[in-house]
Amino acid sequence: MKKILVADDEEGIRILYREELEEEGYEVKVAANGKEALELLDSFVPDLVILDIKMPDISGIEVLKQIRVKFRNLPVILSSAYPEYQQDLSTWASDAYIVKSSNLENLKSTIKKILAG
Amino acid sequence: MPELRKDPIVGRWVIISTERGKRPTSFKIAERVLASSGFCPLCPENEDKTPPEVYAVRRNGSKPNTPGWSLRVVSNKFPALIIEGSLNKQGEGMYDKMNGIGAHEVIIETPSHGTPLSQLDLQSFEDVLWAYRERILDLKKDERFRYVLIFKNHGVEAGASLDHSHSQLIALPITPKLVMEEMEGSKNYYNYKDRCVFCDIVHQEREDKRRLIVENNDFLAIAPYASRSPFEVWILPQKHYSSFVNIPPEIYRSLAEIFRDVLSRIEVALEDPPYNFTLHTSPFNNLINDYYHWHFEIIPTLSKIAGFEIGSGFYINSTPPEEAATFLKEIK
Repeated sequence: MKKILVADDEEGIRILYREELEEEGYEVKVAANGKEALELLDSFVPDLVILDIKMPDISGIEVLKQIRVKFRNLPVILSSAYPEYQQDLSTWASDAYIVKSSNLENLKSTIKKILAG
Repeated sequence: MPELRKDPIVGRWVIISTERGKRPTSFKIAERVLASSGFCPLCPENEDKTPPEVYAVRRNGSKPNTPGWSLRVVSNKFPALIIEGSLNKQGEGMYDKMNGIGAHEVIIETPSHGTPLSQLDLQSFEDVLWAYRERILDLKKDERFRYVLIFKNHGVEAGASLDHSHSQLIALPITPKLVMEEMEGSKNYYNYKDRCVFCDIVHQEREDKRRLIVENNDFLAIAPYASRSPFEVWILPQKHYSSFVNIPPEIYRSLAEIFRDVLSRIEVALEDPPYNFTLHTSPFNNLINDYYHWHFEIIPTLSKIAGFEIGSGFYINSTPPEEAATFLKEIK
């Protein structure tokens, strides 16, 4: 079973992603902020990480950079309600950028594509 | 008393402070905000984190998308506009729209993270200018595109998100409004006076010298008469060329010399300020003409645009261009 770590400061998103992705057959762990995500990664190595960008302590982009130092090829999807962050070239360290939507089909197909690749 | 000055090309008004202007030290940024550090997707060895290169300078014969490059151009990984698809222009009632077709590329100017453009060796600087030319010529072949905008954001306050030196290119299916205004303004001036407005600016600024910063055989750098921002600088060819891609290959070195010199002067005078520069050149459907004169505009990010500027289209400049030119001229 493929493992996914979801880091998002919105509880509703964490619940939605967990439920929907578990239904797809993934094992899902969640973190409520960037610090928690990095701490989790010390003991849990997922197959893919979904990172919110705008989080209160450490931004998703900073978490992404720290992930890249430790796990160069761990797939990371940035997920944000704000498409304008795409203009930040730091996002290039990720494998995909998803604009949040209540319809998770795009997210699910992106996950499948990355994990298959 | 402040002075209202009119830009002779687009007719834009600027309020210039004629009292003693702000000196360069007034603009120094108290604490330099560094663009985010850490993992850099533009650095060598991280080529797999960027889209495949569309152009590169590799003097050592290294393979594409591997280390060994001295300059790379790659498509934007998360582009503002999409290259695939046909252009679809539509009306929606009285409104016009089209699908978001375009090309968005990033020119990675050096493999050396943290080395600014102003500190590149002359050959590397010239390579950047050649990359602009080659990419414009390549994108010109695509019939969907009307204009290629080249720009650079340096420093966080100017919009740069990485401190790895890079510039950007966006190919557009429409000619930007500002470019259209410059073209129309230049054409009106030409129709009235039978001369290129930029050629007249070159001639007058060389004679007058108060706003002339530096010149060489092929180019000159001036603080424009109606500068929108303190320490705004334009670099123009001395001879009339309507398009950046039509200048003789042998003067790219000369452009690199003056461009690097100007950026270094700005960097020294204002202690590495954030800045933007843009290439202004004729659109694809009118590359050769007698009235428009391509040039670079460099604008340090030293003042904020607020309600007055947004509401009026006026700018307020606290440093007269004559004083800015004097400061920049004195930098060795």
